[in-house]
Amino acid sequence: MIAFTDIVGMDLAKQALMLLAVDSELGGVVIPSAVGSGKSTIARAFADILPEGTPFVELPLNVTEDRLIGGVDLEATLATGIRVVQHGVLSKAHGGVLYVDSISLLDSSAVSHIMDAISRGEVLVEREGLSEVHPAKFMLVGTYDPTDGEVRMGLLDRIGIIVPFTAQNDYRARKKIVNIVLGTRDEDDTRDELKMLSGLIQAAREQLPHVSITKEQVQALIQTAISLGVEGNRVDIFTVRAALASAALAQRSDVEEEDMKLAIKLVLIPRATRMPDREAASDEMPPQEEPPQDEEPEAEDEEAPSDTPDAEAEEEQKETPDMIEELMMDAIEMELPDNILNISLASKKKTTTGSRGEALNNRRGRFVRAQPGEMRGNKVALIPTLISAAPWQETRKRDKKMEGRPKTALIITKDDVKIKRFRDKSGTLFIFMVDASGSMALNRMRQAKGAVASLLQNAYVHRDQVALISFRGKQAQVLLPPSQSVDRAKRELDVLPTGGGTPLASALYLGWETAKQARTKGISQIMFVLITDGRGNIGLQATFDPNAEKAPKEELEKEIEALSLSIQADGVAAIVIDTQMNYLSRGEAPKLAQKLGGRYFYLPNAKAEQIVEAALSF
Amino acid sequence: MTQTETAAKKSAAKKTVAVKVKADATVATTPEPKKAAKPAAKKKSGLAFPFTAIVGQEEMKLSLILNIIDPRIGGVLVMGHRGTGKSTTVRALAEVLPLIERVEGDTYNRTVEQYLENEEGKKGAKAIDPFTIRTEKIPVPVVDLPLGATEDRVCGTIDIEQALTSGVKAFEPGLLAQANRGFLYIDEVNLLDDHLVDVLLDVAASGKNVVEREGISIRHPARFVLVGSGNPEEGELRPQLLDRFGLHARIITILDIGKRVDIVKRRREFDDDPDAFMKKYNREQLKLQKKIQQAKDLLPEVTMTDSVLTDIARLCMNLGIDGHRGELTITRTAYAHAAFRGETVVTMKHVKEIAGLCLRHRLRKDPLETLDAGEKIDRELAKVLGEAEAV
Repeated sequence: MIAFTDIVGMDLAKQALMLLAVDSELGGVVIPSAVGSGKSTIARAFADILPEGTPFVELPLNVTEDRLIGGVDLEATLATGIRVVQHGVLSKAHGGVLYVDSISLLDSSAVSHIMDAISRGEVLVEREGLSEVHPAKFMLVGTYDPTDGEVRMGLLDRIGIIVPFTAQNDYRARKKIVNIVLGTRDEDDTRDELKMLSGLIQAAREQLPHVSITKEQVQALIQTAISLGVEGNRVDIFTVRAALASAALAQRSDVEEEDMKLAIKLVLIPRATRMPDREAASDEMPPQEEPPQDEEPEAEDEEAPSDTPDAEAEEEQKETPDMIEELMMDAIEMELPDNILNISLASKKKTTTGSRGEALNNRRGRFVRAQPGEMRGNKVALIPTLISAAPWQETRKRDKKMEGRPKTALIITKDDVKIKRFRDKSGTLFIFMVDASGSMALNRMRQAKGAVASLLQNAYVHRDQVALISFRGKQAQVLLPPSQSVDRAKRELDVLPTGGGTPLASALYLGWETAKQARTKGISQIMFVLITDGRGNIGLQATFDPNAEKAPKEELEKEIEALSLSIQADGVAAIVIDTQMNYLSRGEAPKLAQKLGGRYFYLPNAKAEQIVEAALSF
Repeated sequence: MTQTETAAKKSAAKKTVAVKVKADATVATTPEPKKAAKPAAKKKSGLAFPFTAIVGQEEMKLSLILNIIDPRIGGVLVMGHRGTGKSTTVRALAEVLPLIERVEGDTYNRTVEQYLENEEGKKGAKAIDPFTIRTEKIPVPVVDLPLGATEDRVCGTIDIEQALTSGVKAFEPGLLAQANRGFLYIDEVNLLDDHLVDVLLDVAASGKNVVEREGISIRHPARFVLVGSGNPEEGELRPQLLDRFGLHARIITILDIGKRVDIVKRRREFDDDPDAFMKKYNREQLKLQKKIQQAKDLLPEVTMTDSVLTDIARLCMNLGIDGHRGELTITRTAYAHAAFRGETVVTMKHVKEIAGLCLRHRLRKDPLETLDAGEKIDRELAKVLGEAEAV
């Protein structure tokens, strides 16, 4: 058994968990980390530093709805004749920790139930004739490997702390790990360290109510959230709480700069959707929109002094919010000099989120629940059907209406029949690849946008998804990752640059990557919709190296041919829509269609509806 | 869900209605109306954040209030950013709701008229003397429909416990029964399973819930204000369901620092000492509750001139809205809005303030349209108003 103190590296994760141990209202900690970095070890070791007897419940990924929420314990109910309630995993974690390993792989309906439980602090059980409320206030600790996909944003929003992604431990740490695993560390040391840590956390919990934060500091944190483009207002509360918990851990009664930095690092930065712009940051104060401020100003003035009991003692608290904010910007830049957005989850959410394209159905996928339904055309869930018939046997046997029936051991009626429901990511993913080079680009883009939106209007029915890749200049770019949301499509497609070269190979490559990713998420039917004249003139090399020399024509053709064959071999369907005027065409587009094993449509001035029709006809 | 509701719900759930004995059980000797029932005891934990302490998000708050004033508006769909207080606001609603009168202890919250119609319509039922029916006042129910609810709990089913122990087939009313004459709230409504959506659409259209099971057939009124919330990026709402919602409120992240500081402050205060916080807002809560009740009372007196009605019709026509639900919703909502303002004549000013709420989700979605639905409505509204003023 490896103890919390033994875990080396992952310092931020440890800090995060300690903050959570101090203030459970932070909701939870999510730790993204590569395979084998000890993320699940650290989560399990977390239980050691919590007060004794704190529940620690591990959630299995394949959990069913009734195990998660709770329901009637049928066996016990039938045996006793009294309704016996079985608590679900969520309520079992009440007052403690709910741990989910590989949280990004959790079924989307399970995620919804967890989200619901977190926001209520209880579970509503409205199932099988049962109506109960079970308390379910827990800290959620989730770990996952980002290469498996991302955690749904709705869930992340309800969890206070997201540890920035760390890939590697350093060399010294590794050495220590080896020592621990080999068992060369003194067990007494470990025990003492753990005891110390538990004591520290206990002291911090007691200190927490006595920690204060100034209004300016709160303002600075909020301003940082706004500068980083963090969505929602709930996150403000988490940020403030994290700063307070950090101060409590240091046994201080005032929040200091380092607490705020830590809060920004663990709460705000992972949710950033943009780099803070130093110049704009201070101008960005949005105009005061509505006046309803008037209800409170006097009250605020009265209370302000109580926030800063010893204002004289703390010189730095006189700093203006602007100055503090400046400081924060420094903190951000120092901590994470480059690629801040690369490590933030917000940018990675561009892959996909869990719920899209996932549908309950009656035929295939993973069995999730049995529900009443018609026997015809469905798979009957035998056990649930028998169970639902069982309680009625006595009364049915006495029922006169049943007399004409042949005598059978069990009387099963139509009402008893339960059919199986499966969860499946069905539907087709349409990947639009639009040639945005040259003069016709604007028009093509408009048509493609129209087609995307129009497909999405009906996507609901078929659980289809749509992605859009545009290609121009040096390389292709995913404008819209696989999505089912019209709103999102509209937003992402707002800006569409056009003009420049035609990196067709890059587009095919990116489309192929997108298709492969979708496959891992269970989408089996994928179709490329290429809107182009088929004349690529930029090689794949340019995608990776902007300074690459222009590839000769033969090489370009070879590239496209190889890619096309691989794509075809992967079972991706394709259509090529040529919108170029006939007299300009040199027959490249039909050739491309042929290479991809797809169909060719010649639709000069194609309307969005025609494109949709072509895509659906295939 | 508020504590009042939770407690009420628990007792309601326990109370299964034995189909045959029902009529006798409620017969009482004194016809005098009882005093307003005391709200059920509140537990310390889990107090709902007070409605009046919620900062900003006026559009959502107004939509909810207008639906209390006139439930026929048809509910509200609240869509928007994560973490902006959508469900907090809806759950806070219960505390400012007025009281309604129902037949004492009735799990379906029926009025005396509904009760008589229902019970006397049953096979072999005796005539009931209306003066023998006792009534009670309860707060308008707010019922939470969780995503994981099963169909039998939503619609009601036969009580398994009674069936097992005494062999009696007793109907156990579901959430739809509890929601009758109240609010039915679905968080993450865009993720609701299809078969539950079917049930909801069915009941919302007919106002009745019909359950047939084990040879008994139950039919009870189920008219409720549907309130849904969700984040549009998690998925689209089924078009038929979207159409059911009277109003569509949109909610975005508040960017005003002052307001956000306020939110943090109030939330912390509430978390530290919910009781003290509730007390602090008690007066405002009561004030709002009273204002809503007054608006409800005033509503029958509110009138609208033909010219305003014509303008509404023209607005809907210009926006190319199919069907007449758009006009109807605007009209009703404008009446309620005027009443909330304490005015008895609906003017275009009232219409202007609620047109976006009523029409936003009814515009045909044009994929190439760059203009936001709200802006489009405002633009057409300005045209209509311009014309109206010119006349």
